[in-house]
Amino acid sequence: MAHAVDTHEHHYHPPGLQHQFEDMKQQEESVSIGMWVFLVQEIMFFGGLFTVYLVFRSRFPMAFAAGSNHLDAFWGGLNTLVLIVSSLTMALTVYYAQKGNRNMQVILIILTMFFGTVFLGVKAIEYTDKYNHGTVPVDGWNKRIPEGGTQHSSPAEHSTLTLPFETKASAADAEPHESEAVHPNPQGRFRIEDKDLELVKQAQEGNYLTGSEKIGYFSNGQGSLPNGQIDEAKFRDKVRIFFWIYFVMTGLHALHMIIGLGVMLWLLWRAWLGSYTAEYFSPVETAGLYWHFVDIVWIFLFPLLYLLGRHFLHGGGH
Amino acid sequence: MAEQHNTHSKAQEEHEEHIGIPGYLVIFGILVVGTILTYFVATIDLDWIFPGANTLVALLIAFTKMTFVVLYFMHVRWQSRLIWLTALSGFFWLAIMFAFIMQDYLTRTSGTFTN
Repeated sequence: MAHAVDTHEHHYHPPGLQHQFEDMKQQEESVSIGMWVFLVQEIMFFGGLFTVYLVFRSRFPMAFAAGSNHLDAFWGGLNTLVLIVSSLTMALTVYYAQKGNRNMQVILIILTMFFGTVFLGVKAIEYTDKYNHGTVPVDGWNKRIPEGGTQHSSPAEHSTLTLPFETKASAADAEPHESEAVHPNPQGRFRIEDKDLELVKQAQEGNYLTGSEKIGYFSNGQGSLPNGQIDEAKFRDKVRIFFWIYFVMTGLHALHMIIGLGVMLWLLWRAWLGSYTAEYFSPVETAGLYWHFVDIVWIFLFPLLYLLGRHFLHGGGH
Repeated sequence: MAEQHNTHSKAQEEHEEHIGIPGYLVIFGILVVGTILTYFVATIDLDWIFPGANTLVALLIAFTKMTFVVLYFMHVRWQSRLIWLTALSGFFWLAIMFAFIMQDYLTRTSGTFTN
């Protein structure tokens, strides 16, 4: 111990070196290991959700395909590109931190935060769209669209089912939108469309339903329904499972983005002060590892949530 | 990896640039191409190969993209074996979770989810 103190007093000592490490190389590696152990924990955390996805999709592939086709692959794809750009700016931030270039660090951190915010903005647009089209998986949490498209068709329901963030006027506001007029949703229920049922019919005719699907869509407690009839409510509940998984996984991913933006804000402040040099840049490297991890999660979420049913559409759009 | 590091001088290690800006742009290009490819492959029906071929192709592209991000953006390519081991252990445990849970669910009779 006395020897170690002696060394510190008489030899050159990089400014960022903590006393328990031999040199900067050892310190950097220790920091990286610590961050990677945290990321392994994160892999298992998201892995649990991917396991849920795997179990239910292997049971009810057509319900997942139907649910997936309600998502807008354009917005999902755009967000994938936005995150990849933000990963590039993050990687370049580390590059310039290693060179001790303060101005480029500040510019690139701001760019990274900008693209992170764009990602969350697109997510907000998508969630709003789900709310408007009745695919939020909780009955009553969707937009209420009155019968016949008139404001006063069912006043009693409007007075009892107004959400806290809505005025009664906006809740009753039936937009003169053609498809919504055709599909009223006075109680804000989770709902599916005829095209989803057609997709299952198609799978039934092609005889490629799983055993779970034959029981899960086409039977009641006594056995199969006559003439291969589908139990719409039971099928809807399987699509509902897909939307629960969609909202939980993308919601937790968005939470990671928000935390990442907080980390970036702190990093921006430290970089602005010129804290990072060629000798000491571990915080930038560590924040980068986190940011890239969140990007990787989205790389998997995009095809697994948005694209899994596209090939059933045979060229038709959303 | 370890032997390679020993041949470097300390000064070289401190100013290691990894792949530099052109290198990062190449990786970025690969990721963009992978994303666009994922999008268009998903619209083509590959079920004639075997059911679920679309998902397999999408996952292969996603794994490729992830590998590039981990190796180059997260610098694992230049890290010590201990960090390689830590990173790989995450995927190893994930594979165990998938395998053990699915060997249960896939061997059950289909009467479990009837409601």
